[in-house]
Amino acid sequence: MGAPSILIVHPDRKTQRTVQRILGTTGYRVDIADDLEQGVRLLAHLEPVLVVVDGTLAARSLRALFDAAAARGTAACMTLLGAQAGAQVPALLDLGAVTNLLVHPMPVLGEELTVTTQKLIRGDLFGADKYLLWGTELHETTLVRSTQRTELVGELAERVRARGQSARVASMAMLVADELISNAVHNAPVDERGVHYRKELPRDRELPLDERHRVRLRWGCDARYLAIEVTDWFGTLDQHAILNALARSDVRQAGSGAGMGLALTYRSCDQLVFNLAAGARTEIIALIDVRYPPSERTAVSSYNVFVERARTP
Amino acid sequence: MSTTSDSKSRLTVTPQGDALVLAGAIDETAGLHDLLARAQGGRLVLDLAGVTFINSLGVRDWIRMQAAAQQARLDVELRRVSEPLVHQLNMILAARGAARITSFFAPYACDACGREESLLVDTALYREQLSRIEPPPMACPECRSQMAFNDFPERYFSFVSGESV
Repeated sequence: MGAPSILIVHPDRKTQRTVQRILGTTGYRVDIADDLEQGVRLLAHLEPVLVVVDGTLAARSLRALFDAAAARGTAACMTLLGAQAGAQVPALLDLGAVTNLLVHPMPVLGEELTVTTQKLIRGDLFGADKYLLWGTELHETTLVRSTQRTELVGELAERVRARGQSARVASMAMLVADELISNAVHNAPVDERGVHYRKELPRDRELPLDERHRVRLRWGCDARYLAIEVTDWFGTLDQHAILNALARSDVRQAGSGAGMGLALTYRSCDQLVFNLAAGARTEIIALIDVRYPPSERTAVSSYNVFVERARTP
Repeated sequence: MSTTSDSKSRLTVTPQGDALVLAGAIDETAGLHDLLARAQGGRLVLDLAGVTFINSLGVRDWIRMQAAAQQARLDVELRRVSEPLVHQLNMILAARGAARITSFFAPYACDACGREESLLVDTALYREQLSRIEPPPMACPECRSQMAFNDFPERYFSFVSGESV
């Protein structure tokens, strides 16, 4: 077995070098392939913990690379897209295998790439603090009844505005927090038969949230990102359901059906992060870029799905 | 006179001139369908500057209201559409319905003094720029410098340009 490493598959030399420098901070050896064929050949000799690949490469070939990496025991594949390549996102989502998509003005993507890589390598997934500058305060509230949602969302908007953020940021924060809390209160709870027993209940009906049903809201802003984190303690959301929800085209056409809340949340923030511990908790973090001028922002959002690996006793 | 469509509703509806002025949140309690009964002479004019929030259930209600208005052959005019609603109109094609949008708010920022502001855009006045997906020029209300558009034009103006992003 070879030494743990990271494999980059990208045709652009400047991007290769930038990504290599960033990933070099992990201490792992970084191998580079110019194209998918070379990447697959290298995989025959490597056991990378992480594969970072250019998302503009043809979808069918990407799947072959993902399969080859999985066969070598690779924990995760990260896909990069330049800001101008947003049209590729539906095809990538349709693959159903891209768990980490970073959309960014290329080739600079230091913050997102570093955090995503460290989370994948270390298996330390939870907490919005990973995305904010050290020292940023996170405000925490636990919902004990369902109708607290409207109060909390309104209060969040007021506090965001009080920190000098624009009405645009405040309205995005409201939408994201409302949808994520609503999802955690009504869609997450499941009984022993797998029935989501609160899914069809009217959203304006008062529901007490006991220890099992409580929902935690945390948020913080470091003047780069406003992070909104919502956690439920059922852990019923899975990777398949998430990628399906993000890929839905009928949300764009008709805005209908279940899963619309997640799809709207994705389209309303700059990065959406899912941290999943099956049967234990689901944590969703929405990051809204608040910088001006918005040099790092793109018209297409990034997403990450992290699944907690089973711990060995 | 100020009325709400339901005691739980966080949306207020106030008649003002030929328009109904909506303010607050459009969510699961909004009951937008009730607005249709308040149309006058086949026209329903909605002033939306005060709408601060719309969630996915509010969007569903909004789409149903638009569809019912089309079925009833009502001429729907949307005035001073706020940014949260513009985002939904851009994200969801069905939310546009057959309504005419005569003005809307758009986000601008001033490079000179750092002020961020939501500014009103008249669709008739700036029709040419909007059809080319160009942000109309705006002056900073504070320092009078030229402001920069603070979003992605191809995304923000798609609902008035007829383009799909």
